[in-house]
Amino acid sequence: MSPSGLRAVCLVVPLICLVSPARAQLIPIKTIPIAQGDQFQIFPSNNMGMGGVSIALPDSLGDPFANPATTARLRASRFFSAPTVYSLSGNAGGGRSLPFAMLTRRANWYGGLALVLQQVDPSRPPQQNGFIAVNAPLARPGSGPPIPGPDLRAHGNQYAFGMFGRSWPGSNLSIGGSALWTGLHALDGVDLLYSGSRRVEQTGHAVDVRIGALKEWPGERGARTLEAVVVHNRFAATHNVLYVDQFWDPGLQQIVLQPRTDHNFDHTNTWGAQLEYQMALPTPGWRIGWVATVNRATHPKLPSYDITNVAVIPWDPGRTYAYNLGVGLSKVLGPATFGVDAIYEPIRSYTWADAIAPTATLGGDTIAVGGKTVENRFKFSNAVFRIGVGRDIALEGSPKAIGLQFGLMMRSINYRLQQTNHVELTQRALRTGWLEWSPTWGLTLRFPEFELRYRGRVMKGAGRPGFGAQFVVGARDLAVSSGAILAVPSGPLSLVDVNTATHQISLSLPIH
Amino acid sequence: MTLSVRPLCVAALLLAVACDETPPTTGFPESLDAQLRRSIGQWSVVPIAAPPQQDPALVALGRALMFDKILSGNRDISCATCHEPALHATDGLPLAIGTGGTGTGTARTLGPGRSFVPRNAPSLLNSAIGLSYVFWDGRLSRFGPPPPDVTLPRDLPNVIAAQAMMPVLNRREMRGNPGDVDVFGNPNELAQFTDSQPDQIWRAIMQRLLAIPEYVTLFRAAYPGVPPSSLTFGPAATAIAAFQMAALMKTDSPFDHYLRHEDNAISVEEKRGGILFFTRARCVSCHNGPLLGGQSFSNSGVPQLGPGVGRGAPLDLGRGELPNNDVYRFAFRVPPLRNVELTAPYFHNGTFATLESVVAHYNDVPTSLRNFNPATLPAAVQSSYHGDQATIDDILKTLEFTLRTPLQLTEAERGQLVAFLKSLTDPSARDLSGIVPASVPSGLPVR
Repeated sequence: MSPSGLRAVCLVVPLICLVSPARAQLIPIKTIPIAQGDQFQIFPSNNMGMGGVSIALPDSLGDPFANPATTARLRASRFFSAPTVYSLSGNAGGGRSLPFAMLTRRANWYGGLALVLQQVDPSRPPQQNGFIAVNAPLARPGSGPPIPGPDLRAHGNQYAFGMFGRSWPGSNLSIGGSALWTGLHALDGVDLLYSGSRRVEQTGHAVDVRIGALKEWPGERGARTLEAVVVHNRFAATHNVLYVDQFWDPGLQQIVLQPRTDHNFDHTNTWGAQLEYQMALPTPGWRIGWVATVNRATHPKLPSYDITNVAVIPWDPGRTYAYNLGVGLSKVLGPATFGVDAIYEPIRSYTWADAIAPTATLGGDTIAVGGKTVENRFKFSNAVFRIGVGRDIALEGSPKAIGLQFGLMMRSINYRLQQTNHVELTQRALRTGWLEWSPTWGLTLRFPEFELRYRGRVMKGAGRPGFGAQFVVGARDLAVSSGAILAVPSGPLSLVDVNTATHQISLSLPIH
Repeated sequence: MTLSVRPLCVAALLLAVACDETPPTTGFPESLDAQLRRSIGQWSVVPIAAPPQQDPALVALGRALMFDKILSGNRDISCATCHEPALHATDGLPLAIGTGGTGTGTARTLGPGRSFVPRNAPSLLNSAIGLSYVFWDGRLSRFGPPPPDVTLPRDLPNVIAAQAMMPVLNRREMRGNPGDVDVFGNPNELAQFTDSQPDQIWRAIMQRLLAIPEYVTLFRAAYPGVPPSSLTFGPAATAIAAFQMAALMKTDSPFDHYLRHEDNAISVEEKRGGILFFTRARCVSCHNGPLLGGQSFSNSGVPQLGPGVGRGAPLDLGRGELPNNDVYRFAFRVPPLRNVELTAPYFHNGTFATLESVVAHYNDVPTSLRNFNPATLPAAVQSSYHGDQATIDDILKTLEFTLRTPLQLTEAERGQLVAFLKSLTDPSARDLSGIVPASVPSGLPVR
């Protein structure tokens, strides 16, 4: 990624309102091309190897976690597990998840439970020139305990998922509800968002509640289906950020270090709704689908992120309206499967900074407490394109089969930011964008007793804050030596390209 | 399937190619805070921590000594005379008026037969902050050799205590001339010693102090277990330094709050001035570090004024007057800038009365020096202005490199710079009346 393509963006909001492993219904918002790992790929997915196509091609494993009503398609109770590991190139981070899930149905009722344990490694600047992060405590001249170094331990997250629903076979209608609770101690990449910090401790939780409906109209060439989902997602995290400030000590007559902990709160609440319609085309095997999604997110408090090389901007409340409109085609004919999705995502986001004290403007006016000092208006025009093919190969003379999948997912992010500063009486504009893309692949082994799937993908096009090759110290140490937050530099945002490789092995076992 | 898929694959490739081109990006100017903090970060400017707690008994002794004229040979001037709390620990005069003078502050006048102290009396505000050098020529340093003309006691705790040893030795400042009589008509015994007898002078001052019971009590409290009769002037100077640390450290300015991450602590105009200060106006090339100065020397092209010093008289060569310092000809200590708003007049000889005039001087130093109008000076010192062409050329020869070309600041920008300098003022420094004692142990008038 070319650093020149991203001027001093000052906005950080990889809005983590998309903290949900479920796809589609929550539209991700991202204003800088930070690689966020792949920690929310925790549930099994059949289509992941096909670029994640989903509009016109059902995902037999993943759909129940996105729309609980689709569990009605389950023919028999099954046990799932999908150990997933991901890693970022340059030793920039990684994580691993171990889910256990069970979906069951009895007569017209169905339900499911899932538990996921996850471990996320600390995020690091991508290694360059053999740099190894130093985590030694900082000694303090005079009194006071040493200041702890960066936390290089992995931290765990927990996920608990529950779902139930009922189907009405006579009317081909199914309605289900689900809830996902997440206990968070590690969001990948967050510890890199506070430039100059010594360490970041994260605590928080997310709750995702959704109600879904599935209606099918059988037809000669295949059923027409309508899916509807309403989702409410609440995310609340606290980042306790330890900085090391420098002070001049008149007694010691030298610069001394003092620890300072900032408490940043990241709260976002999202309401969303999605309609998805599929129908068969006259050509045998072909289906077409449409999807329309709307999200309304409020951000009672956005954190004051501070990325290396990015100027500080005050972030306070905000709200976002995000939409997507997509169309998908699929063809399932015999052992071959093909799918393609194209989605357009217009998003409008508005954030502002509140005056915490009477603030004099350049024009001589005073902004009262609570008045807006800075307003930011984003207009996104994002696009998502997914394409994938799959082919099952029967092993001659054996009930076993092999399935192969290949695919590609691309996400184009473009936005325009208009910022109005009521204190400085200035207006600034930024237009920027980038492309993230992921080649995907999959291998399925089908045995009579169970199915074993391997899915993989590499996400490219995003980066992580690094440090100049000329420096032999880490970003944190560099910031400490030049005055913590005072040393926030500016200029073009410089991220180091990293790839995120994800590997998932899912086991689907019928429960007899 | 192949035929159907091919157009879609082509479309996907086209989309990928189209998206791979990063869209045009317009510049996104930095906010004032981003610019200012980035500028600050390059110069090791950090906030000042609270000064260490001082022994109250030591501070009480130092306070008494600071305001007591008994330290002067003629019993007519105290430290506080030239470092007047009402004038923010300076005297408001271009050149200080020492013993023999009458009046206080800007109303102070020379005594008969006396001459001005060659340099401006610097404010004592934040003098204990940890300066590397004290005195305008930096002859006393935290690191360097002791001053060439006096041997200081080795047990002084800091450079400020060492500095407090010096004015009582200076005939113009506090000691007086041979034949002087004090305010009571008694002979000035301190003036009888030669300039090479500092130990005897300090001992004589201690004899004066210990003859006063209240001082004996104060010394006993400050130095418990030490017989007062065994004390030298060093402990007295140490007490004065402790008082300076306790009463005159004023570092809680809006700018210090800004350094502590309070973006709203200073106004937009002050931020713009700060950006100029740290960038285009080049102020920070000298006024850098935690103290915004105090660590180096600079020839700022200041007009020559006053009776002069040493071998350079009637000129004042500043640091260049010291042995082996010719490179510093006309260079003086770069003062720290906190509370600079309150400590006029400015420079080593007080030739500029306002911050506005100082900034105008720096905007084009060669022109300012050549066109300096002595009429802007108080009448009493106008005649001691050395504005001849040879002197001006001499000063310009060693002018600080960064000052040789005009800054070309607009009037608005100069105003912003001044606004920023005023943001360095600790509000509690505006009124120092609370540190003035009602009386001193000697019974001499405090003012």
